[in-house]
Amino acid sequence: MVLLHCNRDTFNSDFDCVTSVVFNKYPNPYATHILSTDVIDRHLDRRGDVLFTTRLIRKQGRLPGWVQWIVGGVKISDSWMIEYSRVDRRRKVLTTYARNLDHTRVLKVEERTTYEYLPDRRATSVHSEVTFTSGLNGIKHKIEALARAKFEESVKRSREGMSLVMQKIEAAAERVAAISVAQAQAQAQAQCQTQPPQPQQSQELI
Amino acid sequence: MGSAMSASFAPECTPLKKRYDSCFNEWYSEQFLKGRSVENPCSKEWYAYSACVDANLVKEGIKPALDDARREAPFEKGGELQEREQGKEQEKK
Repeated sequence: MVLLHCNRDTFNSDFDCVTSVVFNKYPNPYATHILSTDVIDRHLDRRGDVLFTTRLIRKQGRLPGWVQWIVGGVKISDSWMIEYSRVDRRRKVLTTYARNLDHTRVLKVEERTTYEYLPDRRATSVHSEVTFTSGLNGIKHKIEALARAKFEESVKRSREGMSLVMQKIEAAAERVAAISVAQAQAQAQAQCQTQPPQPQQSQELI
Repeated sequence: MGSAMSASFAPECTPLKKRYDSCFNEWYSEQFLKGRSVENPCSKEWYAYSACVDANLVKEGIKPALDDARREAPFEKGGELQEREQGKEQEKK
């Protein structure tokens, strides 16, 4: 088993924005291997402060050819992942645990991530911990080492993808705000246009 | 965000998923995070979407592996159950 600690990263965004992105980070151009995401279960604790979500994620397989050859020529085209998350809105902490559901004998990848709001820095930190476990005796170390090398690259891409989605959400929020302003202006104009006839009518009455 | 939401593994569930996701996203940022609501306003969208997903999980053959995995319930063991116990204790006090 290989344990990998990733350094803490921070996003200069608030907890609301970062956690909304976690639920909506796919699709993005940095994660084209994610084919689908589905919510399997979602519930609140009884105080309404903690939200639990279970998701099923389907991704395109990227195991190298030699691994496929070792596992007996089984063509691994895609695989399933399960992801549990827990959002504590009071403490502003989101924790996720994800692992693959199939091909676990070849390689089991478990990822634990914690997003935590840092009020003094007005930023959200993210920390990941990943373990790779292969059940294939003889070559397990090679597979685990390869998975680790691949993973460091994919974490970087994942963070880039998160940032991109956050920019999109912020842009969308700005557009919504702009639309609201435009609507308010249009309403104000409409009111202005409907108002003048009234004094005229009243003038006529006089 | 409408068009950017991800697809369901079952194409026929994607429109239902998008409807549910829109409802959830609104509830999540406007109510849940602000502590305004513990009620789920998306139950109609949820039931339609999850019925579709459940039916297709069986077809895909992924259901047994998923059911096994769900028994792990890492946060239920490490999070919610403990909190429930604590909550009960607090109530007793």
